[in-house]
Amino acid sequence: MGKVLELAQINLHGTATTSAEAIDEAGRILVATGAVTAEYPSYMHDREVLVSTYMGNFLAIPHGTNEGKDTVLASALSFVRYDEPIDWGGNPVRFVVGIAGKDGGHMDVLSSIALIFSDEEQVDRLLVAETPEEVLDLLGDVNE
Amino acid sequence: MTTSSVAAPPSTGRVRVQRFGTFLSGMVMPNIPAFIAWGLITALFIQTGWTPVGILGGFGTTHGVANVGLVGPIITYLIPLLIAAQGGRMVYGLRGAVVGTVFTMGVIVGSLGTTMILGAMVCGPIGAWLIKQFDRLWEGKIRAGFEMLVSNFSAGFLGFGLAMAGYFWLSPFFDWISTILGDGVKALVNAHLLPLASLFIEPAKVVFLNNAINHGVLDQLGAQQVQQSGKSILFLLEANPGPGAGLLLAFTFFGVGISRATAPGAFIIQFLGGIHEVYFPFVLSKPMLLISVILGGATGVATNVAFHSGLVAPASPGSIFAILLETSKDSYVGVILSVVLSAAVSFIVTAIILRASRARDLAAEASGENALASAIAQNQANKGRDSRVGDLLATAGADSPQANADAAGGITTTATKISSIVFACDAGMGSSAMGATVVRNKLKKAGITDVTVENKAIANLADNVDIVITQSQLTARAKEKAPHAQHVSVDNFMASPRYDEIVDEVKASQG
Repeated sequence: MGKVLELAQINLHGTATTSAEAIDEAGRILVATGAVTAEYPSYMHDREVLVSTYMGNFLAIPHGTNEGKDTVLASALSFVRYDEPIDWGGNPVRFVVGIAGKDGGHMDVLSSIALIFSDEEQVDRLLVAETPEEVLDLLGDVNE
Repeated sequence: MTTSSVAAPPSTGRVRVQRFGTFLSGMVMPNIPAFIAWGLITALFIQTGWTPVGILGGFGTTHGVANVGLVGPIITYLIPLLIAAQGGRMVYGLRGAVVGTVFTMGVIVGSLGTTMILGAMVCGPIGAWLIKQFDRLWEGKIRAGFEMLVSNFSAGFLGFGLAMAGYFWLSPFFDWISTILGDGVKALVNAHLLPLASLFIEPAKVVFLNNAINHGVLDQLGAQQVQQSGKSILFLLEANPGPGAGLLLAFTFFGVGISRATAPGAFIIQFLGGIHEVYFPFVLSKPMLLISVILGGATGVATNVAFHSGLVAPASPGSIFAILLETSKDSYVGVILSVVLSAAVSFIVTAIILRASRARDLAAEASGENALASAIAQNQANKGRDSRVGDLLATAGADSPQANADAAGGITTTATKISSIVFACDAGMGSSAMGATVVRNKLKKAGITDVTVENKAIANLADNVDIVITQSQLTARAKEKAPHAQHVSVDNFMASPRYDEIVDEVKASQG
């Protein structure tokens, strides 16, 4: 099984300007990894309508609904940082982490991301990170 | 422990008995539909039923193979397992239900032939309690991602051990109880103290040992008496529908909520259909009512003793029609009187007991839509909630402290130690997992290790946790699932100021 977060899944200069576009952007990365089918992004939009995935500290974690779980083939993440804050239901978002979770295989990763994003110093470091490698380093043992 | 905001607690003995009663009720009442379905199937299809059907009633053969029928398997497996599952669920959610039910299966098969309602009522909650303790051992110590594996195998192994223990060690114990009850009845028959036999028979009936006593003891002794004198009173000891009928009628007039609504239908199945089992749950859910059926039963027996009345053969099922059919020609007055008088006594005593506890029953009924909810409510009320909870709720936003007010109403409280926190979201896999990690981390940093923090889908939330944290849009839904937990709404999952309040609260609760 491949790693859930590869360099190719990290983009430090996202092009989306709205949350809907950002979800599409995250969805495209996930679909490109082959971890999810092309239908998955529409379930991500469904989930967003249900309840915002804004987590606080500039982070949103769009992911599918329970009904959409058949479109998830493997666990994978996408990591997109935006130069300008995106308006996420009234909250400023700089990081959009798309999540595809299969059989709890994403829990490790979610936990480390949660720990990193709950620490403001770490968030600051992520904000100024210059390369995807640096981000992967900061996210630490996400892949282990 | 922090101090309670409410004054002197009432006698703890009484509270405990009440709690036990409500617990039994919560375990049995939700399963009454199963009893009724079974009662209908039995009344219709058994060999002595209205329209005997072998493949349903479980008699005769099909292509040379004995019919299993629905009647036996439902009462042997389904109903005890339903009760065990409900008992387990009340103690420790679905996980408790699973382990408790597996445990019960060992006892059921171990003492096949004896209906194991009693075993189910004991093993269901105990199995659940055991897995709860078991889980505590490594709660929070498992690497994220392995929880599912550990959780399934730990419960699986425990279930394995309990099923073995139930099969080999517990089932002989339950068999022994049923033997004792039978021996007690036999001794009273021999000592000519027949009305006292109701002391054994009625309690034995409500835990479904009626057939063991009836067919194991009374039928044999009764058959001997018929050979000597042409009739026997012993056939009426257990089969008299009077006590149960009186009880159900009393519920029809003086019961509250679900039990009141169910009682009239149960009365028809019991009195006319002869399926006594449908009234047992009513007694099980309020053990005080044993007094009514014992007194009612003893009245019936005493009447038959006085009139020297009896039946010529066992009345099965114990329907009023079956009884009249089997009544000895010289005994109609005595037998009919025994049914009427026993029903009257049971009705009056039940009415008194129901009236006495009416206020409490209504209160319980009001705090939840059904007996199950009220049982849980009672539990929580007894467990108590600290007054600070209200403060926190108020700070958490647009929450009405309704649930708390309910829980705190009436019965007093000592503050509870906070031991479980659940982070809930829609699917239980995304935001709640992250939030739970953050809170777990904060607690760890504060040096608190014995509090479990889990993430769940709101749909799987059980009303047995201390604190539930949700996104503010989801708090209302979470409250429906766990009305007695303290609810905290957060907007910023990563760094909510609520987290620090929760840590403080947990610290304070540890005293």
